[in-house]
Amino acid sequence: MSTSATTFVPDQGTADHDHGHHGPQGFFFTYIWSVDHKMIGLQYLWTSFFFLLLGGLLAMGIRFQLAYPGTEVPLIGMLLPSTVASDGIILPGGYNMLFTMHATVMVFLVVMPLLIGGFGNFLIPLKIGAGDMAFPTLNAMSYWLYVLSGLIILASFFVDGGAASSGWTAYAPLSSTAAYNNNTQIGQSLWCIGLFVNGLSSIAGATNYITTIVNMRAPGMTMFRLPLSVWSLFITSWLLILAVPVLSAAAAMLFTDLNFGTTFFNAQQGQPLLWQHLFWFFGHPEVYIMILPAMGLVSEILPVFARKPIFGYKAMVWAMVAIGFLGFIVWGHHMFVSGMNLTLGAMFSVSTMVIAVPSAIKTFNWMGTVWRGSISFTTPMLFALAFVSMFVIGGLSGIFMASTPVDLFVHNSYFIVAHIHYVLFGGSLFGAFAAIYFWYPKMFGRMMNETLGKIHFFATFVFFNLTFFPMHNLGLGGMMRRIADPTLYDHLRALQPLNVFVTWAAFGMGLATFIFLYNFIWSLRHGKKAGNNPWDSTTLEWTVPSPPGHGNFEKTPTVYNGPYEYSVPGMAKDFLPQDEKAPDGARLAAH
Amino acid sequence: MMKNFSTKLLCVGVLLLLAGAPEVMAAVRDTNLYWAPEAVTVTGKRIDVLLNFIFYLTGAVFVLTQAVYIYYLVKYRKRPGSKAHYSHGNNKLEIIWTAIPTAIFIGLVIYSNRLWGEIHSAPPENSVKVDVVSYQFGWDMRYPGADGKLGKIDVNTYSVDNKFGLVPDDPAGDDDFASTELVIPVGQPVHLYLHSRDVIHSVYVPAFRLYQAAVPGRTIAWVWFETTKTGDFQLACSQICGSGHYNMKAPIRVVTQEEFDKWQAGKIAAKAQEAKAAAAARETRQSTAALDPATGSARNSAGEKL
Repeated sequence: MSTSATTFVPDQGTADHDHGHHGPQGFFFTYIWSVDHKMIGLQYLWTSFFFLLLGGLLAMGIRFQLAYPGTEVPLIGMLLPSTVASDGIILPGGYNMLFTMHATVMVFLVVMPLLIGGFGNFLIPLKIGAGDMAFPTLNAMSYWLYVLSGLIILASFFVDGGAASSGWTAYAPLSSTAAYNNNTQIGQSLWCIGLFVNGLSSIAGATNYITTIVNMRAPGMTMFRLPLSVWSLFITSWLLILAVPVLSAAAAMLFTDLNFGTTFFNAQQGQPLLWQHLFWFFGHPEVYIMILPAMGLVSEILPVFARKPIFGYKAMVWAMVAIGFLGFIVWGHHMFVSGMNLTLGAMFSVSTMVIAVPSAIKTFNWMGTVWRGSISFTTPMLFALAFVSMFVIGGLSGIFMASTPVDLFVHNSYFIVAHIHYVLFGGSLFGAFAAIYFWYPKMFGRMMNETLGKIHFFATFVFFNLTFFPMHNLGLGGMMRRIADPTLYDHLRALQPLNVFVTWAAFGMGLATFIFLYNFIWSLRHGKKAGNNPWDSTTLEWTVPSPPGHGNFEKTPTVYNGPYEYSVPGMAKDFLPQDEKAPDGARLAAH
Repeated sequence: MMKNFSTKLLCVGVLLLLAGAPEVMAAVRDTNLYWAPEAVTVTGKRIDVLLNFIFYLTGAVFVLTQAVYIYYLVKYRKRPGSKAHYSHGNNKLEIIWTAIPTAIFIGLVIYSNRLWGEIHSAPPENSVKVDVVSYQFGWDMRYPGADGKLGKIDVNTYSVDNKFGLVPDDPAGDDDFASTELVIPVGQPVHLYLHSRDVIHSVYVPAFRLYQAAVPGRTIAWVWFETTKTGDFQLACSQICGSGHYNMKAPIRVVTQEEFDKWQAGKIAAKAQEAKAAAAARETRQSTAALDPATGSARNSAGEKL
């Protein structure tokens, strides 16, 4: 790496970009203001790890309080800001901050940046045979806006009144009138600004992804030869572009309600339910924004380790397209019991049941993929296989809430907490772990340690289920979410041992994450060297060196095959890369 | 302690594995620990039928799919010489596994929405009417007096002196009495009018299978139910409403008709006593005012508010 920045020409990021031609180098341009999509992807990855630890720590605080209300938090109790704890004991208002910020951090600063920012950036150009993103500078800006939004949200813990504490859903007028919520005006305002900035980052990123995927595919890379991960990120980008502006607008309205005396969401001159409609119009597509990329990544990993083409490629694509469309007409199922018109609730119940169908289709196709395969249980495969099962549990528990009368019972109980974590942790995060173990060799040129990986998998899998499965039971037992002290209720006292149990399981899950981080960092230097294609995979990113150089491809690849040609009859090796012509005698079948 | 834990852990595990076994269900129901508390309303029992139906349905789907899945994973694990089958899918299968879930979901949504409609049908005429007013962080209940009618209210006039937002010119409100506990007669339909004086709260009574948000600025008038059993319960707020949310609760007593009548009569009598005392005070005040024509007229034009 020489530092010859004299011939800097803005990176056009085209596939035929001159490979030998480098942009500016040196530490600053390589690691900080990089416009290389791979570095930006890694920046997203590292930053989201930081926030994953923060969000996890907040979760530990929540669990400690629920198991031992009114007890001093060990070790870190005295370090907590005075708005969260007093004498090391978590305050009820501080508890509200913990769960509000846990969800805000995990949704906006961990899962979205990790899956969409991290893997979207790293993989899209490599997988479609492009040299970079369509707009590399916009890409860098998108990352730095994400960092800025994270700093704004972090800062809100230390302002007067503390961080936002009205739940990540921020229902008005609790959120829009500071006097109702312990005067957390600054914290809630920063929350609005943070989400607004985060939204700009998402919109910029999504615009970039769509443009790149539409315009910069290598010759022969037709839409139906795209790997499913790229399809999932393409559809996710459309959801982002259509849904995020609604949240940004709502956050801006909430901000002016808080600070400039407007009355959008106030009960006298405005309408509190308007906030919920705007929030969930974003919020439900958001659920799919967080799960679709994980579905795409897992769909990529299952065929590699089953040595089989993905089952029903086109069905998978159309199922994701259907989820994308239907995702915009189901938001009212969050509002069956909100005071919304009852007939409208019944209609949303219909659309919600309909959207379950494409999810079922995807599950069956994943099972079809392992059927008659030749399955190796590597760490990425274990996470991908577990993703399918956890997603099944999360999907099935969703049916309870989709049924309007049952929602009368389980709404806002721990049952929904269990459901969302099966989808978001068992789904999105298991998918992310699978993807990290799988693409780590491409990112860093070394393999992660398999033994540590398997220990991490089994510990996470067991503790995850011990943490979240009993929450279904807590919910059915009538435990409300978002209460700081369940022991104050007669009907919840009997459930307290289960709460203690869940807390210890959650601590175990938190500790398991450190095995992962240790492995991640240790393997950077000590991992086994990976060649270009350690998993014998077919897609284009495995045809270039690990890690790929600037500009990705020496010369633009030409694509001849679909993305999942494994175990093709009549071939010597059991995989056919996308850029290799099928040898004579190979009996390819259309998908 | 540890033994206690492992027993419970075992319970959860057993529930996972043998969810369908009636003995297990009975055992967990007895302890009330690992299943829902007994439903004590007519609609609650019907919701439970649907809840159980969905539980068995999803449970069966889960067990079946996971059994097949695990069987595949074991059977098709990589072994020396094993080769994967080359297949891109099967359209017939795609149609089958699209059609079956669709049919099940259509059935489920018809069942659900029918019950949803019945739960929210018009409340019977003879319902006991209660105005439930939520606030940060508690509940005020208002019952009709001897006339059986709740006085009209205006959601924009809540104040410290008028905590139910009563409209002064409606005489039906004069004898309404307040309570901090929700007392209801067993076997009688009860119709709740839900209000909030500040932010969104929600009425949540798990044993009633009841959840409904109370929205400030509005009256939610579609909640009614009929209890089947006497007992003490708790009304909880289940919508985050501020720093005191965690402890926003009120007692619910489901009592026999006789007990309810007695309680109601006592409350009505107390209210009448109170009204008499208030009227006497007003009379005294008015006669004092009459001594001073200037302030007297000022009071008259401003009415009760001064």
